[in-house]
Amino acid sequence: MVEFEPKILAFCCNWCSYRGADLAGISRIKYPPNVRIIRVMCSGRVEPEFVVKALSSGADGVLVLGCHIGDCHYIYGNHRTAKRMAILQRLLGYLGIEPSRLRLEWVSAAEGSRFSKIVTEFTSEIKRLGPNPLKNITLQNPTILRDEKR
Amino acid sequence: MIGNIRDLARKWLEDKEVDAIFALREQNGYLAPYLFTNVDKLGSMEISTQYRLSYTCRPSKENILSLMQRKEPSTRIGIVARGCEERALIELAKRSQIDLGKTKIMGIACTQEEAIECKCERPYPDNLVLGQKVEGVSQDENVDALLNKSITERLAFWRYQFSKCIKCYGCRNACPMCFCKDCKMEQGVFTETGWLPPEIPMFLFIRFSHISERCIWCGECEKACPVDIPLLTLFKLLRRDIKDLFDYEAGMDMTQEAPLLTTLDEMPMKEELASGI
Amino acid sequence: MEYKNILTTCPYCGAGCGFYLQVIDGELVGVLPCKSHPVSQGKLCIKGWNAHEFVGSPDRLTKPLIKRDTGFTVASWDEALSTVAKKFKECEESHGPDSFAVLSSAKCTNEENYLMMKFTRAVLGTNNIDHCARLCHASTVVGLVQSFGSGAMTNSIRELEDADCILIIGSNTAEQHPLIARYILRAKEKGAKLIVVDPRAITLVQFADYHLRQRPGTDVAVLNGFMSVILNDGLEDKDFIKERTEGIEELKKTVEKYTPEHVEEITHIPKDKLIDAARTYAKAEHASIIYSMGITQHTTGVDNVISTANLAMLTGNVGKPSTGVNPLRGQNNVQGACDMGALPNVYSGYQSVTDEKTRAKFENAWKVKLPEKPGATVVEMMNEAMKGNIKAMYIMGENPMISDPDIGHVREALKSLKFLVVQDIFLTETAQLADVVFPAVSYAEKEGTFTSTERLVQMVRKAIKPLGESKADWQIICDLAQAMGSKEFEYGSPAEVMNEVTSLTPSYGGITYERLQRGGLQWPCPSKEHPGTPYLHKEKFARADGKGKFLGIEFKEPAELPDEEYPFILTTGRTMFHFHTGTMTRRTSLLNKEVPTGYVEIAPADAKRLAIIKGEFVLIQTRRGQIKIKALITERVSEGIIFIPFHFAECAANVLTNPALDPVAKIPEYKVCAAKIEKVQGTSSY
Repeated sequence: MVEFEPKILAFCCNWCSYRGADLAGISRIKYPPNVRIIRVMCSGRVEPEFVVKALSSGADGVLVLGCHIGDCHYIYGNHRTAKRMAILQRLLGYLGIEPSRLRLEWVSAAEGSRFSKIVTEFTSEIKRLGPNPLKNITLQNPTILRDEKR
Repeated sequence: MIGNIRDLARKWLEDKEVDAIFALREQNGYLAPYLFTNVDKLGSMEISTQYRLSYTCRPSKENILSLMQRKEPSTRIGIVARGCEERALIELAKRSQIDLGKTKIMGIACTQEEAIECKCERPYPDNLVLGQKVEGVSQDENVDALLNKSITERLAFWRYQFSKCIKCYGCRNACPMCFCKDCKMEQGVFTETGWLPPEIPMFLFIRFSHISERCIWCGECEKACPVDIPLLTLFKLLRRDIKDLFDYEAGMDMTQEAPLLTTLDEMPMKEELASGI
Repeated sequence: MEYKNILTTCPYCGAGCGFYLQVIDGELVGVLPCKSHPVSQGKLCIKGWNAHEFVGSPDRLTKPLIKRDTGFTVASWDEALSTVAKKFKECEESHGPDSFAVLSSAKCTNEENYLMMKFTRAVLGTNNIDHCARLCHASTVVGLVQSFGSGAMTNSIRELEDADCILIIGSNTAEQHPLIARYILRAKEKGAKLIVVDPRAITLVQFADYHLRQRPGTDVAVLNGFMSVILNDGLEDKDFIKERTEGIEELKKTVEKYTPEHVEEITHIPKDKLIDAARTYAKAEHASIIYSMGITQHTTGVDNVISTANLAMLTGNVGKPSTGVNPLRGQNNVQGACDMGALPNVYSGYQSVTDEKTRAKFENAWKVKLPEKPGATVVEMMNEAMKGNIKAMYIMGENPMISDPDIGHVREALKSLKFLVVQDIFLTETAQLADVVFPAVSYAEKEGTFTSTERLVQMVRKAIKPLGESKADWQIICDLAQAMGSKEFEYGSPAEVMNEVTSLTPSYGGITYERLQRGGLQWPCPSKEHPGTPYLHKEKFARADGKGKFLGIEFKEPAELPDEEYPFILTTGRTMFHFHTGTMTRRTSLLNKEVPTGYVEIAPADAKRLAIIKGEFVLIQTRRGQIKIKALITERVSEGIIFIPFHFAECAANVLTNPALDPVAKIPEYKVCAAKIEKVQGTSSY
């Protein structure tokens, strides 16, 4: 049997975490190739809907990465993210989606190795959880094939 | 009880404390919200748990009270309000939807039967004017049943419930807290338009997520659902979590700002509960 | 400031939901569901929640229009009425009364339909009156009258909740009658079995225990297959058949040929599935059949309807709560328009125009001699207009330019008329062809009654004043009748009209506005003390001898089958988010956001073969015409079948449909015709 290779989506803020990811690359620090990065201006831009859309469109896990508290380029953007994601995790749990498929972490521009560590840990956690059951529900509704390209 | 309410309404109108009273009226056996301006009509004033006096009009997406206040800014409106209605008014005022300065709330308590019927945890307003406070009902078998399910069972449960959805937008329309002019539920980018059932779980998730900290658990969404989706179950659970995380409850304190509108410095999040984040 | 809530009845489908119109100082500000309404119970569908928006549309007609050389010009009521009266008089003098034809409206109130019927017969002197029921449930009225003696839904909507088995054939209930689907889902949650017979994977299929996907137009074979299984297993209700019915031997002889193997050949439904579904239906204590236009809009529409009645009687599922044969009527008042006699062969209450005693009763009441010969039906009217036999038409609240089959032909027919009068709230595609247009009012601006699909007569109340100079349809009809010299149209209010209806119509005999104020009444309600009838045929059937009649029905193929040139079966219908010809829903913002324009559903395998992608424009052609329309690739349809909703004028499905008629009910075959798909180069929306 082929080992399950999860698809992981990471939302990285423009000012810290994306640069952290960049640093990981420049420094040749290894991390699993399962992660796809979407750059956002601030982790505060990540709406809960983005996370659910990612999960229902086929992602097995979602990382939201922002600046450390106090370092936000927009001062309080990540405060909102912290609160929003806390509520979202609980909501996901009630809906039947493992809350640990969503993870919020702070990664600064200097923390290339931290980025790599988080991605590695998260990937193995999602491998342990297995494929995200939600994607089958949204994409394989028994009566409706929404779009032939999916 | 209704006699006392009518008497007080008469007094408020006669003493010119208010220009009009917003309450329910009975006509040919049917109840509906009505704005009483004439004391002679107070005989048809009624109370019932059937209707809430705080709802948003469509398609203007404006709260009925705010619509009245905008039409006639000088009119002072008295409103007969139960616990949930008072909470709605406070939360709406907090979010700049209505002007509480121009309203006078006649807070009334629900009876024990009414509290049980609505499974209401707080069947009385903060500012009680008429009636006797009764105990709230904290037990909700829907909530317990969901918590007893495994994560896989929960997903299966909601999958079935959401697949019944006929996209009437009734839960949103009936909700006093759904007043956004530009509603995300309508946007094709999140939920593909024109399909039944709407995208699972996105369509209903949008409301859960947006209303989580605003919900005043009046249950109107669940009552408006043509296919009996137990929407209130999730809102009750979220409310508990938000209380645990932020020590905040919607619609209770006019001066307390909502957690998602404040910074961690202004309203901290309890670390022990937020672990894993 | 005045704020009030006016209780009224929804103007969309036949479910008859109740809601309040919220009015602040004469302005409509919203809809509030009525929580104590017996059907809707405080819930509504998306159309109901937005039912007030089109009322204030800037497109509303507010003044009468007369067409002159330069196009439409605004006219006064006096001028418009006298012009029409004069033209009608001229037409009658030179061509006789049967040169008139009238289309009444299933959107208007009972009172207005009654007046239109009276106007046509008493003032114009012809029986050429019909309305869109011809296009939806004419087969029901004809078919169920033959089997049961009454052509209406036998049971009530709420009773569905307690059924043990629900068989849905040709009804996309969750989308077309959402609040009725509510009770189906509730039944399902209580453990009922759900059988869906539909070529499309409709929304309710998600919850179905059996989905039988038949080839379109083979419903008689499916139902005969059910009956042959039931008879073969001895599951029929022998006592019921013996005591309450006649003709069982004839039925047995016919259906025994329809073995599951034979049915599989005709319908493509796997025989094991058919057998299981038939046994499930037969074994249920309370089994209910729901059907709609999926079986009526065929050249075999009446056959289909009779077959459902056969099946229900065979298993004793008639005359008890939560059972029966339940046609779901598409329009808010299509039941009422039929009840009021807006049909070419009957007066109100289905009293025949050919029966001398009945005619004498109406002649006596209306103080005029009435025509004896039944009149022309909708499609026949168009044909007669083409031939030049019908010279003038009066159309109230209907839009045949989108709703009738083969629109190209309808356009020619309407253009060949000498004089066309249209009375509507918008300048519809039909009104654009008119010589005179009367501005009518919407449901929110008038009083009256609607009769829902479950025979429930309910009040419609006036919430706001008519827009501009527009007038209620009942007033316009009265004004026109008076302009033509009639003395029999002097009514002060719709209540007075209803009093006349009840005096002449036994089934409405006990219905008064006073009683209706406190809630609806289900007819038959023959007297003031009668509580109304939740389900029909309790002790005996409404036929003359009191027995239900089995009629052996043989399967016949649809009028047009796919061939090499036109290889696809085209079937048409509605979507959840729009209603009929879109006159009201396409002026409602949220509904337009959901579905802005038409589309054709194509199965993935067909799309792949023809290299068609989602959103691409394709050309759909039939022998009647062609339309350019967006493709939607979906498994809702199976290979070889395409589906187009008919609401949209810019890609009107009825340009394509076949006007072939059922021989008795004269309903056109909207549901099956042969079509082909062609790619249009370079029009992909991407």
